Amino acid sequence: MRKLSDFLIAAIAGLCALVAAGILVGLVFVVAQRGLPALSWSFFTEQIRLVGAAGGIFWNLIGTIILLGAAFVICAPMAVGLALVERVWLRSNTARRALRTVLYTLNGLPSIIFGIFGFIVFVQWCGLGKSWLVGGIVLALSMLPTVTVALIERLKAIPAAYVEAAAALGLNRAQIVWAVLLPQAWGGLVTGSLLGLARAAGETAPIMFTCTIFAGATWPHGIKDSPVLTLPYHIFILAQDSFDPAVGAKLWGAALVLLVLVFLLSLVALPSRLKMHEEANV
Amino acid sequence: MSEPCSTSATPQSAVANASVLRVRDLAVFANGKPLLRNVSFAVEPNQVFGVIGPSGAGKSTLLRALNRLTDLIPGLRVTGDVRLHDQPIYEASVDVNALRGRIGMLFQQPVVFPASIEENVLFGAKRLRSLHGSVRHELVESALREAALWDEVRDRLRASALALSVGQQQRLCLARALAVEPEVILMDEPTSALDPKSTQAIEELILRLKVRRTIVLVTHNVAQARRVTDWLACVCLRDGAGEIVESACSDAVLSNPQCREVIDYLANAP
Repeated sequence: MRKLSDFLIAAIAGLCALVAAGILVGLVFVVAQRGLPALSWSFFTEQIRLVGAAGGIFWNLIGTIILLGAAFVICAPMAVGLALVERVWLRSNTARRALRTVLYTLNGLPSIIFGIFGFIVFVQWCGLGKSWLVGGIVLALSMLPTVTVALIERLKAIPAAYVEAAAALGLNRAQIVWAVLLPQAWGGLVTGSLLGLARAAGETAPIMFTCTIFAGATWPHGIKDSPVLTLPYHIFILAQDSFDPAVGAKLWGAALVLLVLVFLLSLVALPSRLKMHEEANV
Repeated sequence: MSEPCSTSATPQSAVANASVLRVRDLAVFANGKPLLRNVSFAVEPNQVFGVIGPSGAGKSTLLRALNRLTDLIPGLRVTGDVRLHDQPIYEASVDVNALRGRIGMLFQQPVVFPASIEENVLFGAKRLRSLHGSVRHELVESALREAALWDEVRDRLRASALALSVGQQQRLCLARALAVEPEVILMDEPTSALDPKSTQAIEELILRLKVRRTIVLVTHNVAQARRVTDWLACVCLRDGAGEIVESACSDAVLSNPQCREVIDYLANAP
């Protein structure tokens, strides 16, 4: 009886894992199969023509990279500051828990809320209009919890003996942060940022009315009213609004490029993540 | 427990002002529960002041109360009076970091930072005062020489400190503490993680260091206490909190202990 139930549970768990893996493989397969024919050198180097039915995605790729770069630059200092506040400056557990709750809540916010927030505050109130900077800020906010939590975990994994040894030498708190904590937490910042960026890269809701348009933008010419083209929005518009069959292949091509971009970001983060687990086991 | 034990501190002839460290009625509480109580003693200049006693009696906590590392541990509260050269160290106006620069510390496990040997030696010193090129090299050399490590690492100062043996790492930690020029060095069972050869090296170092500095040594090893300490304080648990049950010149404590707990401890000690 016990053997049977054991076998059943193993079988069900195995089946679930198989279904999950199958969906992932199937999804990648479909995107790859339909997207590969569209890929060519010119697909990456040309701009959109004929409302997406011809040409390439050069400016969309550039725009997405600009947004990710801005998001990283804006997010990293905020995440470092928050993580240090949580680990070093907050001494009461209640305050720490409150900060963590805020972070997890922020992480759970639907991305459209970030979009609305960015639209109302930056696009309208601040009068920036649709701008790559607003997109960077909004994406930075949406990935802030991921990066901060990764940093906090890395800071936690630093043995207390290091802090004690540095303090025993007479270093003050700021010196301990610079000399001991930050050098060892650097990996957490990189890992967290890459994972956050991997998610941010595919976000459509936060950017669609804050920073991106469908066609006609190239390099940002300033900060105000300076939108960019992006991959997710490109896919969104083509998938939703085009009946042109020629668009189909280009659409899948763009989807494949986005998928590979996200996959690469996660892949680069992998060694650092594995290392983090090793250290946590010590 | 039945017979009263003498808790005589240093003889009165050692006048207060001459002592490097003077502790009066020190008590440490963890979340309100006492870990140490009624601790009083004085450490004279160029002395190796030993602290022995069973595990868990609070020896490490006592040591950490002397350079206020206890501040870093949440929930710990320290009462009483600790003076360094007659200056109370627990007063609000005291610069704790400067205090820790004057009282160096060596831990049970060597803690080297993931950096080069040279960087480890300068880890504290270069942040506490500005050091220029040639001064740096001189300091690295003198600190490593003083810690008896120079000859072993002189050719690989830029190599990672993590590649050193545990015994070498402990001497590197000592060099790092010495580079800050402390007057007092606190040592928390510095040889318990080391092999006999490294242990001997550290013991020889302690005897050399006391010529210029004052050392407070917590040890588990009675033979070591006999070899290097001048004065011994025995910390034992009474009613759940550590107290100094006997404090005298180390020959006296080791050859003719007065207190029942100390007699038992010495009889069973390694």
